[in-house]
Amino acid sequence: MSDVSSLRRMAAAVRFALLPIAATGMLLGSGGASAASAAQTAVDAAKPLCAGGKTITIVWEAGLQSLDPQNFSGPMWEKLTGCKVKVVEVPASEMFTKIMQEYRAGTGAYDALNVVPAWMPDLVQAGALEPLDALVDKYKYRAELKNIAPTYRDNQMTVNGKIYGFPDDGDVFVMYYRKDIFADAALKKAFKAQFKYDLAPPKTWKQFDEIGAFLTEKLKAKGTYGASMFREAGYGNFLFQERFRNEGGRFFDGNTMKATINSPVGVKVFEGWRAENRFMPPGVEKFGFVENLATFVKGESAMTISWPPYGRFAAGYLANEKALDWVPKTTIAGKVGYALPPGGHPQLAMGFALSVASTSKQKEAAYLFIQWLNSEEISNQRVKLPYALRDPFRNSHFTNPEYLKLWPDAKNYLATLQAGSKTGLLDLSLIQTDKYEEALRQGISRLWAGEDAKKILDDIAKEWDTVTQKVGVDKQKAVYNAWAAKGGAYPK
Amino acid sequence: MSGPTVRSGDRGFRYTLVAPSIFVLLLIGVFPIVYLLMVSFQGLTMTDNDTSFQGLLNFRALLDDTRLWQSLMHTVFFTAIALPAELLLGLAMAQLFIDRMPGRQVFIALLVLPVVVAPIVSGATWSLMFDNRFGPINQILGWITGEEMAVLWTVKPHLVYPAILMAEIWQWTPFMFLLLLAALSGVDKSQLEAASIDGAGWWSTFFRIVLPAIWPVMAVAILIRGLDLFRLFDVVWALTKGGPGTMTETISIFTYVKGFQQFETSYTGAVALLIIVLLTVLLTVLLKRVSIAR
Repeated sequence: MSDVSSLRRMAAAVRFALLPIAATGMLLGSGGASAASAAQTAVDAAKPLCAGGKTITIVWEAGLQSLDPQNFSGPMWEKLTGCKVKVVEVPASEMFTKIMQEYRAGTGAYDALNVVPAWMPDLVQAGALEPLDALVDKYKYRAELKNIAPTYRDNQMTVNGKIYGFPDDGDVFVMYYRKDIFADAALKKAFKAQFKYDLAPPKTWKQFDEIGAFLTEKLKAKGTYGASMFREAGYGNFLFQERFRNEGGRFFDGNTMKATINSPVGVKVFEGWRAENRFMPPGVEKFGFVENLATFVKGESAMTISWPPYGRFAAGYLANEKALDWVPKTTIAGKVGYALPPGGHPQLAMGFALSVASTSKQKEAAYLFIQWLNSEEISNQRVKLPYALRDPFRNSHFTNPEYLKLWPDAKNYLATLQAGSKTGLLDLSLIQTDKYEEALRQGISRLWAGEDAKKILDDIAKEWDTVTQKVGVDKQKAVYNAWAAKGGAYPK
Repeated sequence: MSGPTVRSGDRGFRYTLVAPSIFVLLLIGVFPIVYLLMVSFQGLTMTDNDTSFQGLLNFRALLDDTRLWQSLMHTVFFTAIALPAELLLGLAMAQLFIDRMPGRQVFIALLVLPVVVAPIVSGATWSLMFDNRFGPINQILGWITGEEMAVLWTVKPHLVYPAILMAEIWQWTPFMFLLLLAALSGVDKSQLEAASIDGAGWWSTFFRIVLPAIWPVMAVAILIRGLDLFRLFDVVWALTKGGPGTMTETISIFTYVKGFQQFETSYTGAVALLIIVLLTVLLTVLLKRVSIAR
């Protein structure tokens, strides 16, 4: 990434600024942990293993995410245990490939890994991840694991009943809306007169369409559209999965494993998207993370749906942080409200879990590092880092008194994240998930090219059936039904 | 005529001298192909541990894979448009610069600059140029039309091919230009003068004297660019990643996606073998045709 060098340049400054705070936090046991905390247990156990100056190599998403181990947790771990931390930065789109390539090569180059939970079945089937249950018991981590928010803990940690990763990033989609616009008396009056209900954050997609079109009509002349949204295929993939299920869609027939994505619900979602683009900014079809963020924080849209960092960026939390100088300066600080997306079941899009590579030559030291990272004490500090993009994932994160003070509306922000974590929907996770998602991504790009929604979805369903046949219908059916039985697979 | 006799000891010494080279050539040339062949008969994927022999299953799957054949057709299409365009534009530019003029060397150096840009960088730059909101192309169109333009160059089917071809032709026309300029510089001036004295027109002179003189160089340039276009990847990847859908997916992108995103190792091996066979046949025919490999 182009920002890597500049990010590294500011590393030293941030490191020295944060280390004393972090160390103090640890000593005082911030987050309410006791002296025998999992973090302290990990540190005590790692000291003898790290004697002689070992290096733990961890794969981390390139860019802002990796500033956490580079500037904060890595130097702190070295100070506490003597183990150096080497961070291998990999773009998210290449992480699965790199991890698999290293595993097949068997070099032992990676000790610890960041993995997207949806990849776990593939990685476990291949044998790339180390089961962690024995180490969890040995280092008494079960009690703290229980305090991870239930959705993440119950759905993003195990495969076939065994622990393969610690959920470490509370990714969840949130609806951000302009409180000032929704509170405008004239707009409220006009809206009520036209639609016979109050102007408020939409609870259904029908409401979203009506509010979006209404606000565009009223505000476009002032440069504000009713909504903007991820539409680029890579991001649209997550939004489709969310909306499709909120509208009642199911990905497969659990008995036959035939794809049902081409159901009327799928067509409704695709056609709805296309219709909604009319009240969104021109060129919304290409909107990814940055384009959508820029539009929202510059005040050019009244509603959007995205990951938690949008809320922090829009609030202007540490807007002067050098690492965030690529983020467009917010013009809407203090004007942003938080709500669950229409339907009330947000996508738990991506997220990261911390795992140990099965080929590591120092699995125990790697395990202790990830236990420490993931612990109550340290994770409470890590999710507050302004630049690192790790989002709250433990119960204690949502009520962390220091976090609540970060900006005036942080309380509502955290409450919305917590609500989302309770009702959130898991990413589809099967054997060879990416093949299914690739077909969906291609379908979305075809939608923007102007093709017929039903035809696209039929093609996606055909492609999904082909992948299922290749994997083996019974094999995939077992994986799908296990996934579908999870609390976050479909709205209850 | 009898040459000097070679004693068996000398012959052995010769073989010893060339043996390391032959070994290296076998290692880097033959071993990968043999290994590729072996892999293509298995059912390897990077996410599975199955190494069983699958016979011709992967090769049979090639025949049914419409996406593969479509990607091949896209590649042929790109080549069929870009290659003649680059050739004609390069030739026209070379004709312009064949005569001495002030600042000629500087202009030539500037014109050749796109060739030294890495293709992926070129693709990324064009991606910014075509950006619907911030790209200069839409801004210029906006100035011309007097209204905001949000043309989706890399999204809409009727624009995506022109966008890719524009980027590709921009980068590689200078390559043709440079080679053809060198070839044109070598054309015998006395023949041109004689033709002029005899009253031959420009077209006649070009087709009867210039073209035969520059043909060997032109043929090599066509071959090099043709092969380059066959492995077209970077610009398309940077601009569209093969989309919308798989509308601009080239054979290289298809192979990359299958091999390195979907980890279908054995199937990708079969695809690679297919490409090798196709290219070998194509090259053999072309080399015979252009008479430069006798």
